[in-house]
Amino acid sequence: MADITLRVNGATRTGSPEARKTLADFLRDDLSLTGTHVGCEHGVCGACTVIVDGRAVRSCLMLAVQAAGSEVTTVEGLAPDGGHGGHGGHEGLGPLQQAMWDSHSFQCGFCTPGFVMQATAFLGDHPDASEQQIREALSGNICRCTGYQSIIDGVLLAAQRNRQEATGNA
Amino acid sequence: MTAIAAERYTGASIKRSEDPRILTGTGRYVDDIKLPGMLHAAFVRSPMAHARVLSVDVSAARALPGVVAVLTGAELEAMTVPGPDALMALMGWTGPTPEFTLLATDKVRLVGDPVAVVIAESRYIAEDGCELVEVEYDDLPPVVDAAFALDPGSPPLFANLGDNIARTHSRHEFGDVAGTFADSDRVVDCHIDVHRHQNVPMEGRACVASYDAGSGVMTMHAATQSVHVTRIAVAMRLGMEQDKVRVVAGDIGGSFGLKIGASREELAVAAASRHIGRPVKWVEDRGENLTASGQAREESFDVRAAVSHDGDLLGLDVKMVVDTGAYPGMGAMVPDIMEAMLPGPYKLAALGFESTGAITNKATYVAYRGPWASETFVRERVLDLIAKDLGLDPVEIRLRNVAPRTDPPAVMVTGRPLAGVTSKESLERVAELVDFPAFRRRQAEARAQGRYLGIGVATFIEAAPGPRAPEGPSGPMGMESMRLQLTEDGIVALFTGQMPHGQSHQTTLAQIAADEFGVPFEQVRVVVGDSDVVPFGLTGGSRSATMTGGVALHGARQLKAKVLDFAAHLMEASAQDLLITDGNVWVRGDPASAIAVTEVAQRAASGHFGADVDATLEVEATFDGGEGGWSGGTHCAIVDVDAETGIVKVERYVAVEDCGALINPAVVEGQIRGGVAQGIGAVLLERSAYGEDGTFQSATFMDYLMPTACDVPRIEIEHLETVPLDADVNFRGVGEGGMIVAPPTIVNAVEDALSPFGVRIHEQHLPPARILELIAEADPGQRLGPTALVD
Repeated sequence: MADITLRVNGATRTGSPEARKTLADFLRDDLSLTGTHVGCEHGVCGACTVIVDGRAVRSCLMLAVQAAGSEVTTVEGLAPDGGHGGHGGHEGLGPLQQAMWDSHSFQCGFCTPGFVMQATAFLGDHPDASEQQIREALSGNICRCTGYQSIIDGVLLAAQRNRQEATGNA
Repeated sequence: MTAIAAERYTGASIKRSEDPRILTGTGRYVDDIKLPGMLHAAFVRSPMAHARVLSVDVSAARALPGVVAVLTGAELEAMTVPGPDALMALMGWTGPTPEFTLLATDKVRLVGDPVAVVIAESRYIAEDGCELVEVEYDDLPPVVDAAFALDPGSPPLFANLGDNIARTHSRHEFGDVAGTFADSDRVVDCHIDVHRHQNVPMEGRACVASYDAGSGVMTMHAATQSVHVTRIAVAMRLGMEQDKVRVVAGDIGGSFGLKIGASREELAVAAASRHIGRPVKWVEDRGENLTASGQAREESFDVRAAVSHDGDLLGLDVKMVVDTGAYPGMGAMVPDIMEAMLPGPYKLAALGFESTGAITNKATYVAYRGPWASETFVRERVLDLIAKDLGLDPVEIRLRNVAPRTDPPAVMVTGRPLAGVTSKESLERVAELVDFPAFRRRQAEARAQGRYLGIGVATFIEAAPGPRAPEGPSGPMGMESMRLQLTEDGIVALFTGQMPHGQSHQTTLAQIAADEFGVPFEQVRVVVGDSDVVPFGLTGGSRSATMTGGVALHGARQLKAKVLDFAAHLMEASAQDLLITDGNVWVRGDPASAIAVTEVAQRAASGHFGADVDATLEVEATFDGGEGGWSGGTHCAIVDVDAETGIVKVERYVAVEDCGALINPAVVEGQIRGGVAQGIGAVLLERSAYGEDGTFQSATFMDYLMPTACDVPRIEIEHLETVPLDADVNFRGVGEGGMIVAPPTIVNAVEDALSPFGVRIHEQHLPPARILELIAEADPGQRLGPTALVD
């Protein structure tokens, strides 16, 4: 056991995970943040993706103790308090989540948090990404339900709205 | 997405009410459940395909701090009741019935067969405990392929059977088979293989079993396609009364046929919870899911086709062998559906069909999206082989053979009328959308540059639910029930036995009921996932659109009539003069009379009425499928095959589908695209691979390759809604068609691309290495014309 302190979704959290405990299990079991899903436990499916210090990482391949001192964002931390997605948005949804809702992006929802986090990190760095770039950026996340098109459409819609908003604010 | 008029939701792409929770991580899947005192299970699994279990030493595991119990196969056998697989029993299976235990006792029958279960304070400790269990095995010869299994000399997996026959050989003939073949111009002979692949939902199997000794009630939190089938399975195996088993389910991370009833492991977890008296959670990891949850297909077909010189497919004679894997499952039953469906939408005059099921040391055959799909693969593959030999275009040979839409409808040689089938229209529409002549020119130019483009089409029909049959409901699994209630706070609540796991029923059923009853979409609740509350039902077989959509429509109509009868007393009007629109009841022609449905509900709940007033605003509705009907369509793929690397790229994919009236087009198209993606994966990537000794070779996602966003193209979809058959309910199922028809579509396109090499394809799995082999093995003589014909 090691005492660790980290920031998760903007709040300081402490815990004493076993050294072998994955970040995914720590988030889910110790912090009760069950929005992060575990789909393969060997780093291929991407369902467990979270953002650590600005980078998308597979929380099944990272130990909780490695995240000590880091800033972690999970799917639960995406919507700003009282925020909404705009466009007649639902309270509690960030802009990407709203665009994915509008695009019927998902079906069973199990892979969803991983796609949302991966796409959040990618769009942050590549606001003007093309469809092909988005496909490549999301090709490390597996969805068994949708055939991906609706997910890609959601990301494209979010990117387009972000650009419109940026233009409108300029 | 366009704005929706308040009273017409059906037919519009209403945004899903499921999405806010799944997009924010607030869905509730089985692994998200935490109960007080909950323990965790992990299974010790066999590394051998076939072996005697000589001893199981659990002493070291039991001594590990944090381990609460370790149960062996023999111990679990003593706590449970022997019996057949619950699902097969429910479906009336009467063939060979192997006797099996939940965990292996005397022998193991596949790599991954569970031998013992460790129950501990955490999953980590449970897995540590598994490492400490010592099992001694004595090798038996593995039965890895169906041919060996059918050899009387193969060692029987199950002692009570004495052989490895899961389904005894049968032959049925429809039409004049011998005469049709004797009178035909040509007979085409071939052998077609469909490889083993599997469901792979992103959430594997999972359950939390929680036994309460005081009440004697077992509560199972399950990932299942039917809370009731799971309840029956648990009650049967644990020897409990059904009303002492409650199965609840929340969000489910996909299934595609895998999660029906309860698996051996889930039943073992339930028994363990009862034994220990504490809740026990088991969530399989990906290795377990790929190795032991179940696999599908692996069917082979000896096919003879009777053909005319002009390309008329006159008859088929098919001998099928299905490899059912080790334990009892759907594999033994699936040939019956294939036999019935093999003629498809074609004017076939004769069909001979033989089938046999083989038991092997591999994972159990489970239902996977369109379990009978191989009949479409065989038929659509054979049609292309015939077309190539005769120099016919793939659309042309299909149009030539497809049954015309007549009144009364043409009847499949196996017996079912092709009422409302629009295969011809879908073929013609695909030809228009794709422009074959332009493609052929582009293909010729590409070939001149050493690039191999190919085009493939395939057509299918799906009994979703199928035409009305005089003997009973048109749905494949009987009547559909629903309880509907106007609650005290004015909500129209639909209680359904459907158990959505991605199908969006919470949205689609609410659309139908909102329109029919006359309330806003938000005023309808769809209640699922509690066997104490919902009527019997099952999500599967592309059943829900017609059957549950239909019962929602008729049930909402009945509930509305009841509410209006009651409102008539309140409003001192005749029920015939009352309307409900936008959540208000009002007297026709007098908008000022309107009162809210919510107020009517509250008044009914207040309970001060005479004996002649029925204030119970609730109905039990059933639906038999109405006039039923077929789903179907034609798909077309254009592929680019790299003859140097064997890599196939799907350049374009077009689907023309007819599932009748669409409830929610975005949901329908999601189903189609998802199925097509699985079909593309099945052909180009996925295979559940076994070595010659029965070792399993694809237990990770590095070995079992799943299609990604770079493998699946943008899929163009068009809908035909040509033929309404029923006065009210013309929604038809669309869950399985994509996975049924995409494999032959892709394989046909690959063969077309490789036709300059003379390649003929008789299999479904075409990874790059196999493409290169096919090119190397191709018979150059085939480049010029037919060789596989017997005149």
